[in-house]
Amino acid sequence: MEIAVIGNSEFILGFRLAGIQKTFAAENSDALAELVTKVMDDAEVGILVMNGEDMAKLPLRMRTTLSDSVKPTVIAIGGEEGGLSIRERIKRSVGVDLWK
Amino acid sequence: MALKDVKPTRSELINLKKRIKLSERGYNILKMKRDGLILEFFKVLEEAKKSKSELNDNYEKALKTIAVANTVEGAIRVKAAAMAVKENPQITLNQKNIMGVVVPEIESSAVKKDIVQRGYGVLGSSAVVDETAEAFEELVDSIIRAAEIETTMKRLLDEIESTKRRVNALEFKVIPELSEARDFIKMRLDEMERDELVRLKKIRAKAQAK
Repeated sequence: MEIAVIGNSEFILGFRLAGIQKTFAAENSDALAELVTKVMDDAEVGILVMNGEDMAKLPLRMRTTLSDSVKPTVIAIGGEEGGLSIRERIKRSVGVDLWK
Repeated sequence: MALKDVKPTRSELINLKKRIKLSERGYNILKMKRDGLILEFFKVLEEAKKSKSELNDNYEKALKTIAVANTVEGAIRVKAAAMAVKENPQITLNQKNIMGVVVPEIESSAVKKDIVQRGYGVLGSSAVVDETAEAFEELVDSIIRAAEIETTMKRLLDEIESTKRRVNALEFKVIPELSEARDFIKMRLDEMERDELVRLKKIRAKAQAK
């Protein structure tokens, strides 16, 4: 399986340099949502990498689907990914702030 | 369940007792599941913290090097080198089950390559491009590691939350209400029995008086 990267052209350039073929440029949030749907349906994609800021732009429902998805696994890097951060989630589920 | 809906009959009492037993058994099992999940969560937590900070460090480093490469080489030449890279990092994605929570398990083939394997030619590009490629390969490596751990943690957290909700609902809502209804029926049945006894006594007294 492969890794897919979605983001603006600057973001995906470096990943191309690392050899990732499935890089998709999305310049506005409509294109972003469309590309994400397309990649999620692609059976060959194992990990979907996105920029945290782009992730925050997606509609809430899509974001929930993404963060719950196992195949492909979605990861956001750099910046806040919108919604509850991991720290908040730990606080809510376990009751103690363990992320320090 | 509001008390006024409860019919004070013996069969209802038997039903209620059965339901209380079932709820208590479910409660105990769910409590164990919650504790187990929290244990699993603690196992992942340290790793997740480490991989997240590593990921952020690598990302910053990669951004810096690509900025340098864009300045030194020009965006077009960096792009040209990027388009030339042919080696594609392959991963294998499996699913693992931790107490009913499906989590990913990712293995990857070598992401890191040496200059010759990259495919954009050794002569045509400068060292900055190589450095950038290397930085991004490292970043991809840590992404693969972090993706597995982070998703595992998110799913575990969700499951812990819902299990905790269920445990609390059983402990503080379902079981107390059922017990209350059971006590109410018991009281009513006793009361009815005493009623009956008094009535019998009265009838007997009347009959003897005649």
